Amino acid sequence: MYAVRQFGNGIFSMNGREWSLLVACLLAIILFSVVSPHYATSGNAATVLRNSVELLLIGLGMTLLLAMGGIDVSIGIVMGLAAIAIGRVLGAGGNPLLALVAGPMVGALLGCVTATVVVLGRVPAIVGTLGLLGVYRTAVFVLLGGQWLSGLPSSLTNLLATTVLGVPVPALVIAIAYLAVWLALRRTPYGLHLLAIGNSEEKARLSGIPVIKTRFMTFVISCVLTGIAATFYVATYRNVEMTIGSTLALDAIAAVILGGTSILGGRCSLIGTVLGVLLLRILQNGLLLIGVPSLWQPVVTGILIIGVLGFEAVSNRFPLVQLLRARA
Amino acid sequence: MKTLRNLQGPALTLALLCGLWLIVILGLLVLKPSVYNLGTVTTILQFSTILALVGLGQGLVILAGGAGIDLSVGGAVSLSAIVAMLSVKLGLPPVLLPVVCILAGAMLGALNGWLVNGLALLPFIATLGTFFVYSGVALAVTGGAAQAGVPSWLLLWGRGVVMGIPVPFLTLAIPCFALAGLVLLSTAWGRWIYAMGFNERSARLVGIPVDRVRFILYSLSGALAGAAGLVSIAWLGSGRPNIGQNLELESLTAAMLGGIAITGGRGGVGGVFAAVLLLVTLKTGLLQLNINTVWQVGIVGALLVFVLLADRLSQRWRS
Repeated sequence: MYAVRQFGNGIFSMNGREWSLLVACLLAIILFSVVSPHYATSGNAATVLRNSVELLLIGLGMTLLLAMGGIDVSIGIVMGLAAIAIGRVLGAGGNPLLALVAGPMVGALLGCVTATVVVLGRVPAIVGTLGLLGVYRTAVFVLLGGQWLSGLPSSLTNLLATTVLGVPVPALVIAIAYLAVWLALRRTPYGLHLLAIGNSEEKARLSGIPVIKTRFMTFVISCVLTGIAATFYVATYRNVEMTIGSTLALDAIAAVILGGTSILGGRCSLIGTVLGVLLLRILQNGLLLIGVPSLWQPVVTGILIIGVLGFEAVSNRFPLVQLLRARA
Repeated sequence: MKTLRNLQGPALTLALLCGLWLIVILGLLVLKPSVYNLGTVTTILQFSTILALVGLGQGLVILAGGAGIDLSVGGAVSLSAIVAMLSVKLGLPPVLLPVVCILAGAMLGALNGWLVNGLALLPFIATLGTFFVYSGVALAVTGGAAQAGVPSWLLLWGRGVVMGIPVPFLTLAIPCFALAGLVLLSTAWGRWIYAMGFNERSARLVGIPVDRVRFILYSLSGALAGAAGLVSIAWLGSGRPNIGQNLELESLTAAMLGGIAITGGRGGVGGVFAAVLLLVTLKTGLLQLNINTVWQVGIVGALLVFVLLADRLSQRWRS
């Protein structure tokens, strides 16, 4: 299919967009190392990677959603709710294995709620998830009862801080999730259906693609990945605060758009999303280290989204770019 | 019952909203009778002014179709209020404060319009981006602190009450809605907005300047957000960088409750007005019953989802 051919079948195959993202990451690292002496340390590199774990998992799901022409702005608070469930299990002295299951379970449940409203109820994704965002935010507050969930036992942390054959567990989980999403997208009918719906939902429906099933599944998959992300969040910070996940949805959308996935649907790049997440976290961490207050972070992210899309829109109008794109 | 069954479209919406409103008021009357005095009415209308202005802009943008939506309204309210207060602080004559506030809002709206029209970005992504930029800048520039120094004549306007009705409501919200209703119902511009919302392709083919109308509507939505920012300054006596919080959700809910179809081309501003009053009465009632304000965002969100689902279901039953 056109969409698949254009953006490569390989797990790590990169096109121009992804190479330029990689270059941007390296440039940002070099720039920040020159400006701030605290930047180029192994501790800081670990911090950046550590901070990327949740966003990488959520970004994979958001890539699927945006490629399908959907969106979920409630995803950050979904992680919050899953984190509360995990925290409650841990706090009650529950088995850490039960805590491992709690995140994806709550994620799947909330995914079904979102999908019921958006897919079965035929409500535009942006409006439906914005409404649910309000509901979930109240739910977080009510469940926490105005207090942080803190001082959780370290059983889950110990479980996830280990290494398997020298590879840290978070890296392993991300690799598995990446591989699973890549396989689903590029090697199964589901992936073709998803991209076709992104191109044109009406045409996909007319050609007999199970539109409702595919869309429903994608919303649930995205929320399950978010539930896994919540597990890592709780394991790392061992507390759940009131404002958990408030900018995660914006960050995920920004990373996916940076990565070259089209919000008009129909084409997507998983490796682009991974690089987009890294670039975003490198920028946020670097700006903080050179002394920009964290209040500016959403501004930077917002400008990135509009800037990238605006640049694409403008550059598409030049004949040379069109020619290069047609030949690539 | 016979008349209710014959009602359709906007009239049905209005009847339903009035019914809901009465239920809310009666519920409140039973739960807390002491609420009923002129002061509560004034408070409700005072709160309504801001949401009414923002909801009007939101409603018009959605009405014009093309997946139109303005998620940045809350950020635009905050930022225009902050811009106006800061420019007075930097030496602008205070007489110009209202003009600067509305103009700043209009510029922010025009930026949205340019992104949607000029660059052909999807409205929800473009305005989601500008929402975080506007509200983020308002917070970051002030460090979260309220900006004081409102001239006293402006406070006189903002806090004035005539027969229990706040002056900003009388002089800003009502005229804006009357004007919008008049334009929608009895001018070519109104017909154009409905036509392009209903079927953009046909609207283009018959020569309606779709792009120009849409750009103007986004700018208007920004200008109305600026006006809402002005009302907040004049009423609260300071420019607050978080005053627009949750307004994107509330204005969307007001527009949807008011019977404007999310796909555009259907609905009117009268319904939005009624929906704003209903929403604010509900919020004020919750406040009076000492229910935590966090519940507000959840209830408004649930209302939004409920209204959209009900709209879809009623369409299915009819067909």
